[in-house]
Amino acid sequence: MTKYDAVVIGAGNGGLVAAIRLLQGGLKTLIVEKHNLPGGFATSFRRGRFEFEASLHELNDFGAANNAGDVRVLFDELGVTDKIEWIQIPEAYRVIARSENLDATMPFGVQAFIDKMEAYVPGSRESVTKFFELAEEIRLAQAYSSSVNGQTDSKYMVANYGNFVRCGSYSVNQVLKTLKMPQKAVDIISAYWCYLGANLDDMSFVHYASMVNRYILRGAAMPKMRSHEISLAMVERIRELGGDVLFNTEAVKILTDAEGGVSGVVLDDGTEIATRHVVCNCAPHVVYGKMMDKVPEAEVRATNARKFAGRGFTMFLGLDRSADELGIENHNYFLYDTMDSVKQYDRMRTIADNDVQATVCLNRALPDCSPEGTCMMYFTTLYMSDDWANVKAEDYFKTKDYVADKMIARFERDTGAKIRDHIEEISVATPMTYARYCGHPQGVIYGYESQYWDGLMPRLQMMAEDHRIRGLRFAGGYSMRLSGYSSAYFSGDISGRQTVGDFKREG
Amino acid sequence: MPFTFKKQIFGFMDLIRFTKMVPKRREKLAEGSAEKIPATYRVNETAKILHPGYQSAKLVKITQNTADTKTYEFETDKPFYFRAGQYMTLGTNVNGSEASRPYAVSSAPGAALGKRVAFTVKKCGFFSGYLFDNAKEGDIFTVGDPSGEFCYEPLKDAKHVVAVAGGSGITPFYSMAQAIADGTMDFKLTIFYGAKTEEDLIFKKELDALGSDKIRLVYVLSDEKKAGYESGFIGADLISKYVSGDFTVMMCGPQAMYAFLDKELKKFDLPPRRIKKEANTVGVRDVKEEHYKIKVKIGFESYTVDADSRETVLVALERAGLKVPAKCRAGGCGFCHAKLVSGSFSIPGADKRRLADSKFGYFHPCCSYPDSDMEIIANKA
Repeated sequence: MTKYDAVVIGAGNGGLVAAIRLLQGGLKTLIVEKHNLPGGFATSFRRGRFEFEASLHELNDFGAANNAGDVRVLFDELGVTDKIEWIQIPEAYRVIARSENLDATMPFGVQAFIDKMEAYVPGSRESVTKFFELAEEIRLAQAYSSSVNGQTDSKYMVANYGNFVRCGSYSVNQVLKTLKMPQKAVDIISAYWCYLGANLDDMSFVHYASMVNRYILRGAAMPKMRSHEISLAMVERIRELGGDVLFNTEAVKILTDAEGGVSGVVLDDGTEIATRHVVCNCAPHVVYGKMMDKVPEAEVRATNARKFAGRGFTMFLGLDRSADELGIENHNYFLYDTMDSVKQYDRMRTIADNDVQATVCLNRALPDCSPEGTCMMYFTTLYMSDDWANVKAEDYFKTKDYVADKMIARFERDTGAKIRDHIEEISVATPMTYARYCGHPQGVIYGYESQYWDGLMPRLQMMAEDHRIRGLRFAGGYSMRLSGYSSAYFSGDISGRQTVGDFKREG
Repeated sequence: MPFTFKKQIFGFMDLIRFTKMVPKRREKLAEGSAEKIPATYRVNETAKILHPGYQSAKLVKITQNTADTKTYEFETDKPFYFRAGQYMTLGTNVNGSEASRPYAVSSAPGAALGKRVAFTVKKCGFFSGYLFDNAKEGDIFTVGDPSGEFCYEPLKDAKHVVAVAGGSGITPFYSMAQAIADGTMDFKLTIFYGAKTEEDLIFKKELDALGSDKIRLVYVLSDEKKAGYESGFIGADLISKYVSGDFTVMMCGPQAMYAFLDKELKKFDLPPRRIKKEANTVGVRDVKEEHYKIKVKIGFESYTVDADSRETVLVALERAGLKVPAKCRAGGCGFCHAKLVSGSFSIPGADKRRLADSKFGYFHPCCSYPDSDMEIIANKA
C-alpha cells in the first residue's frame, strides 16, 4: 500500500500552503484535488479574448517588499513570492449607497484614509484615528498570539494589549458607537463588511478592524496572471520540495484506527493510501457527512452548531470598449441599498431582493489585463440563505440571467457607466457552480459565518480543543482563520505546521 | 496620546466579557444537534443535474438521416440538463484505443431531464466510422459533461440570431429550435442551412415542422438548383435578403465555410461580440512524419508511449489505451490540462491557454503536437 506521512485533501488556498509547510517540515506528502486545476476559487478561465479572474478582488495584507504584510512574509517563507509577478492596487474602494446619498472613494494609507474621511465627514478625525489605533493594537496582539500558538498569557495581554482585550468581545457596531464615530463615517468605514459576510451587529470588531487595517496599512496586491498564477506557483513549489500532486482525484474516505484516529485515505479509484495525518481543505460538514464512518458525537454537535456563511454568485463581463470609454472610473466598487448592514444582510437572503454587489474592473489595477480597447469586470454578491436550492435545473439559466441583468442595471444606475451594449463575453457563476467545482455545501464560498459567538478570537483561542480527532486538521475558509484569501493561506500555514508538530510527537 | 478603550462604565467589565467568549462558544458548540450530518445538499444535487460529469449511456435508437449521417439516441444513467448549442463527449474503447469525440447535442434540453440525449454524426473519421459500422442498440458508451459556450446569451446577443449551418453543423441549431418551440428559450432564429443537395439536408422535415414566427428556415443548396431552395453559398447578399436590423451570427460548419463567411460578414461591419463560431476539432498536422516517445506519469504510474509528429499528444496517449481527460479537442476548454516536464511541442492554431499555464509549462495535449521526445504529467480521466 502507498504510504505517506501526510495527505492534504483539496488543493485550495489552505491546502496548497499546508502541503508546502508539511514538506518543509520534512514529511512525505501527497496532495489530492478533485478538480483538474489547483487553487479552488483561486483560478482563472478563458472566454474568447479574455482571461477572467475567478474570485480574487485584491490580496489583503501583502504589501510591498519594503512594507511587507503578513501574507508576503508567509509567501517568502514558503518560497513562492518570486515565482509570481505582483501589481499594487491603486486605491482602496468606492462605496455607493444612492438611496442614502453616499458615494465615497477611499485611498490606501492610514493617514490618507483619515484625511479623506475628514473631508467627507468633518469631525470624524478623532474617532477614525482611534479606530486605526485600536486596529493596530489588535494586529500586534494577534502577532503575539500567533507567536505563542494561541497559548497567550492573560496578564501579559492585559498589560501590553489592554485595548485589544477590552474591545475584543464586542461587535463592530458596538465599538464604533463607543468611539462616537459620526454615522456617515461609520457608513463609509463599514463598506468592506460584505467581504466577511456577517452583519456588523454580529461580526466581531477584532475581525473587521484587523482586515480593514491590513488593507489600508499595506495596500492590496494582485498577481499579474490572475490568482491562477499563485496557485500554479504553489504547485511548482510542492513539486520542487518532492511532494506528490494528483488532480482529477477525489478523496472519498478517511479511514480511522481503533482509537478513532486517522489511519488512511481512500481515493475515488479505490486506491488506499496509508497515512496518520490528514489536512482537509474542505468543510467539516463534507468530511463528517460523507467521508468518515465514525464521527465522535462532540464533533457532530459542534459541526451542526455552525452556520453557513454566504453562498456565492459572480458575473464576469468582457467588454469591447476601454474602461475610460465606458465611464468605469474605479477598480473596486461596493454598491449597497443601505449602509445598515443588518438590514442589508436581511435583504440578501433571497434572489428577488438581493441587489448588493462588490464589483471590480481589473483594468483599473492592471491596464493590460485584456486587449487594448477592451476591459473586464466581475461582479460578486452573496446570498444569506439557501434560496438557490429552490431553483430547479430547468429554471437555472433563466434565474442566472435574471440576477445578471439586475447586476448590470444597478451598476449602470449607481455609477453612470454604460456597459450593457458592449458585452463581448459573459459568464456567470452561481452557488451551483461553486458547489460543482469546490464541493462546498449549498455553494457556500465564505465558510462558517463569523457570528457573534463564532468569531475569529474564540476560534483562535479554541484551536487546541477544536482538534478532537487525532491526525485530522482543517485548512481553508471553514477553519480557524475564517474565509478569504489571506485567511485561507494563514490557516494552511497553521494547520500545516501543527501537523508537522503532531507527526514529530506522535509519528 | 494613547487612549483607553472603555465601553462599560467599569472598564474591568470589558475584560470579564472578553474572558467569557471561549466558554460561550464551547457552550454553543455543545448545544448543536447530534443528528447525522447530511451527505449532500439541495444546491449540490441541482449542480449534479447541471454538471453530471462522466456517466454511462445506453444506445437505444439509431436513425439514418442521410446517406452519411445517423442520429444516435441514448438513455443516460442520470437525468441532466444543458443549454441548447452545447456539446458532450461520446466515448468508448475502439480496438484498444480509449476514444471519445465531442458532438453537439441534437436533442432538446428538456429531453435530458428524462435521461434522453441524441447526437447526430456524420461519417468522416475514426470514431464516427466506428459508430457507423459497429454501434448497435443496447451498446453502452460514456458521455461527458455538457460543455461549450455556443449558446444564445440573452444579455449579450441580439434578439435575432442568424444561424449559419453547414452539413452536420445543423445539430446545435436543431436543439435550439426545439428549445424555442417548447418555450425553454425565447429569441428569433433564422437558420441558413447549407448542404450539397436536398438529399443531404438533415432534419428537413422536423425543422419545417418547427417553423413559426420565431423560427425561420432558409435552405441553401450548393450542388443543385431546385424550386423552394436557395442555391450557391451562404453569404452577405443572401443573409440581407432575409434579415435586417440588429442580429447575432452563430456559425457551425466546416472550416471552408468559416473562411468564406469571415470575408462575407465584413460587409456588415459587425463587432466581434456579434459573431460566434463553434470551434472545429483539431485534425492531422501536415508535417514530415517523425516518431517520438512520450513518457507520461498518470497518478502513481509511469508509461512510455509512441507518438507521431502528425498527431496530437492526446491521440498518442489514447492510442496507447491510456484513460486521460479529453473534451473539446480544440485546445479551448482546458479539460486535458497537463504539465510538460521536458521536450517540446507546438500548437498550430491559437494558443488558448491561461497566461500562467504557459509560464509554468502546462499545456493542452488535445491541440499540441510533439516536436521531440517528451516527458509529461497528465491527469487520470
